[in-house]
Amino acid sequence: MSLLSAIFLIPLLAALVVLCIPRNYKFVIRLVTLGATLASMVLALALFAKFNDAPVENGFRFNYEKEWVHVDALKLDIGYHVGVDGINLGLIVMGAIVAFAAACVSREIKRLEKEYYLLLLVMTGGILGAFASLNLFFFYFFHELALVPTFIMIGVWGHGENRNYATFNISVYLSLGALIALAGLIALYLQSGANTFDIVALTKAVKAKPLPLAAQSLIFPLLLFGFGILVSLWPFHTWAPLGYGSAPTATAMLHAGVLKKFGLYGLLRVGIPLMPDGATAWLEILAFLCLGNIIFCGFVAMRQKDLNLLIGNSSVAHMGFIFLGIASLTLVGVTGAVVVMVAHGFLAALTFGLSGALREQTGTLEIEKLGGLLRQIPFLGAALVMAMLAGCGLPGFANFVGEAMVLFGSWRAFPLVTTLAAWGALIIGAVYMLRAVRNILHGPAKPEWAALKDANAWVKTPFVLLLAALLLLGVWPRLLTDKIQPSVAGIIAMAETKTADKATRSGEVKKAAGEIKHRAVQPR
Amino acid sequence: MNVGLEHYLTVSAMLFCLGLLGVILRRNVLVIYMSLELMLNAANLALVAFSRFNENLTGQMMVFFIITVAAAEVAVGLALIVALYRKRQSAHVEDLTSLKL
Amino acid sequence: MEPTLSPAGYAALTILLLPLAAAVIALVCPRRDPESTANRSIGAIALGFVLSLGLFAFTGDKPQEANFNWLSVGDLHVAFGLLLDPLSKLMLLIVTGVGLMIHIYSRGYLHGDRSYSRYFASLSLFTFSMLGIVLANNLFMMFVFWELVGVSSYLLIGFWFEKGSAADAAKKAFLTNRVGDFGFILGIILTWAALGSVNFTELAGSVELGGRLADKAAGFSVLAEPLGKIFNSTGWWIIHPNVLVTLVGLLLFMGAMGKSAQFPLHVWLPDAMEGPTPVSALIHAATMVAAGVFMLCRIFFLLNIPGSHALEFIAWIGGFTALLAALMALQQNDIKRILAYSTLSQLGYMVMAVGLHAPGPAMFHLTTHAAFKALLFLGAGSVIYACHHEQDIWKMGGLRETMPRTWWTFRWGTLALCGVWPFAGFFSKDAILASALEHNNIPLFVLGVFVAGLTTFYMSRLVLVAFCGQARSESAGHAHESPGVMTWPLVVLAVPTLLAGAWGIDAYIAKALPSEHPPHDGGFVDNLFAPFNHNILAAVFGLLAVVAGYKLARALYANAASDPLPGKIGFLANLARDRFYFDELYGWFISVTQETLAKVADWMDRWIIAGLLVRGTHGTTELVGRVLRLAQTGSLQTYAFLFAAGVVLVLAWQLVLNSPAH
Repeated sequence: MSLLSAIFLIPLLAALVVLCIPRNYKFVIRLVTLGATLASMVLALALFAKFNDAPVENGFRFNYEKEWVHVDALKLDIGYHVGVDGINLGLIVMGAIVAFAAACVSREIKRLEKEYYLLLLVMTGGILGAFASLNLFFFYFFHELALVPTFIMIGVWGHGENRNYATFNISVYLSLGALIALAGLIALYLQSGANTFDIVALTKAVKAKPLPLAAQSLIFPLLLFGFGILVSLWPFHTWAPLGYGSAPTATAMLHAGVLKKFGLYGLLRVGIPLMPDGATAWLEILAFLCLGNIIFCGFVAMRQKDLNLLIGNSSVAHMGFIFLGIASLTLVGVTGAVVVMVAHGFLAALTFGLSGALREQTGTLEIEKLGGLLRQIPFLGAALVMAMLAGCGLPGFANFVGEAMVLFGSWRAFPLVTTLAAWGALIIGAVYMLRAVRNILHGPAKPEWAALKDANAWVKTPFVLLLAALLLLGVWPRLLTDKIQPSVAGIIAMAETKTADKATRSGEVKKAAGEIKHRAVQPR
Repeated sequence: MNVGLEHYLTVSAMLFCLGLLGVILRRNVLVIYMSLELMLNAANLALVAFSRFNENLTGQMMVFFIITVAAAEVAVGLALIVALYRKRQSAHVEDLTSLKL
Repeated sequence: MEPTLSPAGYAALTILLLPLAAAVIALVCPRRDPESTANRSIGAIALGFVLSLGLFAFTGDKPQEANFNWLSVGDLHVAFGLLLDPLSKLMLLIVTGVGLMIHIYSRGYLHGDRSYSRYFASLSLFTFSMLGIVLANNLFMMFVFWELVGVSSYLLIGFWFEKGSAADAAKKAFLTNRVGDFGFILGIILTWAALGSVNFTELAGSVELGGRLADKAAGFSVLAEPLGKIFNSTGWWIIHPNVLVTLVGLLLFMGAMGKSAQFPLHVWLPDAMEGPTPVSALIHAATMVAAGVFMLCRIFFLLNIPGSHALEFIAWIGGFTALLAALMALQQNDIKRILAYSTLSQLGYMVMAVGLHAPGPAMFHLTTHAAFKALLFLGAGSVIYACHHEQDIWKMGGLRETMPRTWWTFRWGTLALCGVWPFAGFFSKDAILASALEHNNIPLFVLGVFVAGLTTFYMSRLVLVAFCGQARSESAGHAHESPGVMTWPLVVLAVPTLLAGAWGIDAYIAKALPSEHPPHDGGFVDNLFAPFNHNILAAVFGLLAVVAGYKLARALYANAASDPLPGKIGFLANLARDRFYFDELYGWFISVTQETLAKVADWMDRWIIAGLLVRGTHGTTELVGRVLRLAQTGSLQTYAFLFAAGVVLVLAWQLVLNSPAH
């Protein structure tokens, strides 16, 4: 078993172990979960450390390939293929760390623990597997494996009166998104004619013989909106605040932080490189839709009265920056988008974790009822302030690096959109984040919260871990960007060779190539 | 009078319609069950008639199968009805609606 | 590129990182031992001051740079870079020197506060961020520390966060600064997109190149051309390149507008008085507000590109801020607020100087102002401390007898602020007025002189009411001198307040900044009289304004028991007291724009997207289901009937309609 496979197979195996433990042994169940997620986190960190020295094969490291189903008569070839490059490396490491943090905060669950931890482990394994897979079949399969536990966890262990509607909403919405994306992936498989689900092989085939233009312009929107729904692209975003508001803490952390990134990852890994012509037509629309995320959802967040809904909306708003970076299709912009993907994973996990810890103490997240808490809970309060500041793009935290890169990168492609996005990032974000801090933590202490207790060392662990990750990447971004850059450069190179129909479009291609050359020359 | 295929088929069709009406209109499960048997036998009659007039034994083979299956069906069905009656003290379809929303 | 650091580079890095280390240690082990946190912070900045002195004394004037590759993606290259030139060395001295005094003073002022160590941690973070701005060698790094300054001011202004007003003031300061930062980052992006770099040295190189090209190509500078391409290629705006260059300048200036509290982003500064007084001193003297002016001086070459009209705009904004703030200061009664508005007004002077192509005098005034404004704020803190946190000057009085040391240092600070020869403020203010004259900008010169008169008027009012006459309240009557830890910094700061004008600081600055008439350092005594030789008109008018202001204040406020001004000019006095209703105006503006947009967005999200579209789809699906369910009665007999009917229909269709007979 390779190192990479171990990272996501350990949680899945642990799930089998949990299945066999009698439900009364709650402590053992929890211990197995913590141990498995810890092991997978440590392995992921080892993967990160070894990344630079690992041999490269087709642009990927830690490659592991094995034939699984191969039927020539049916033109079917599904193989097990995993590997990492700069784009999914950060996501896997981030996912593993968030999974461990999520396991830590799962202490709040007080009933049906066995089922809960079982689902948590399956979800973790699914998420990490989806990011590691280089085969469309497993890529999709692992995502579904992680998605279904999300619904069950929200439905069974969720909070609030809206729980049922939220479960219903998120299940239908995300299943729909996944289904549309599946339709796109199958169409892609059929159109490519390569008879393989392997992403590397598909990429090669498409490089040799691009998809027909008509197919591209039909399939790309399927992927864009299918994946877009999974990432809460405006206006398909309403499931997100609702779902996260009702979800148990760990589920919100894992979904908002990690699983949500699957759609973006898919767009980057499959959508844009395989269908560059389809992409160019649609990315402009995407750039304007992302303003819906950044500005519209930012304004919506301002009006929220519940902390979790506020965080949920802000998380939707942050997705806008990733979309903008991807839409810009510049090296700086897309690299920035990947950095935001990783940074937002940590941040979303941190904020949802903190709001969960707060709810455990106060029993409510209604902003009006809270107030003056910083004196009672200095650690949680300070961590929340830091999370909020990271959320409004403060330097020192990883989000700033990513968002700044996105803005720098997207300027050349969309100046107006970038200007508005900067407004959203610097001002709208700051308004609701600081308002929340002002109303929850600052102000005179209220007598009803005099008995609150601050976090003990166990509760602190996950938050310290997440904050440290955010700070480390914020202070030393090259740790990530140097690894991301070559992989993104490959994608950009594929996206810029728009050669769908060479005969009729040769003129345009030449023009485009000229433009690229022009861009590459730096005016000094 | 020469009795031809048409006569057999007419009787069979009438029997079938009687059975169908019984299934649709009657309310007692036992009677519905008997009507069902009537329909099966209408089919049997038609098959035998065809077999005779086409000088082909396949139809009669078919009939044997149907009789066998019908016997099994009766055994299971009647048992179910008796069980239902014991539980509900009724064999009326209006009283047997607990699966309905 | 991994650079080899020169000893000077190591020293600069140490100066920068020491306060950060102090802050991090305080964060990691909080509340163990507040005293040692304070000592660490003070030690860090003291060591920084010593090292800065060493740098100032022993390194040459040639700029030195050190670059650590921080982020390098595509054509975006950002270094964690340090730039040591006369400008940054001077600022290092100001920040660490004035900062050190404020750190020491804080030990006394905040003694016994239960968040003592949090205070010193934030203070160190603040110092670190400011030093980062000073040492940054590129726009991106400057922006990073720029934001960090913003957040540390947020932490410090909101230090007493349990007070609602302090928490609101902190939020307001951060958000107002963010509006400026929005322009700043756009300006940085534009500059980078046009010139392909964020490094000051490289930018200066390309701008110089552009300047030379500009002579040939009639106003098309190297910056304007690529900028024009960027905009025009998108097909949205086709603007004259001069407009674009001006736009870049103004966007960058927006950053300074926020940090240096220039109109219209000036509203946060007076509210920032909610923080502890030493914090106000730090914000007003050595850090934060100085950052804006420093940045303008640092990027002066970008504002001064041929074809750019940014500087004219900057000059008028500065002048207007100076006037506006001086008018507001006339009718304030809170001792700290008067000083806050005086800072605003003096910052207006500095920005005006930058706009008048005179960044040298601006930096000069920044330097002297740092010394005497720190002195004034710390003096005010001493008064407030002695009067048991009474801040209303009409409840003070007679403090000259009870607080002698505070009194004479405060008086010196006032004299310097008013611009009385031979105090430091005279020289720097004179340099600014002189540059207005040299630029033949008579309106701004008149404005500058008028504001100088106003300054003397309100400062004399403050001194006459608070220190002279009789005590007007019990707490003022019982006041006695503050402890030595608070008064000694005052004494130390009084030295540069008196002498800094003739130290040749202006000549030192001229080594780093372009200047049309570079000042000449002719020794201390020569410098003392240089203003009168250089431009006697400015010096005489400046001094006349001071005399006029003092006479007027003395006539009105000597032995006054309450403010006579509202009785005399009524409406105007109220306008000044209520700060020309800017806060109300902004509040109204925000509520009609931002809050309305938020309400509309929320309504749409709730009712249109989540309601009509999402629930609508859900509802339609359910409705269709309900209709179709009617057919599913669950009665087997109905099914049998429908089944039979279907068979009959199919049979009929087959036999009747489809039969060959038809």
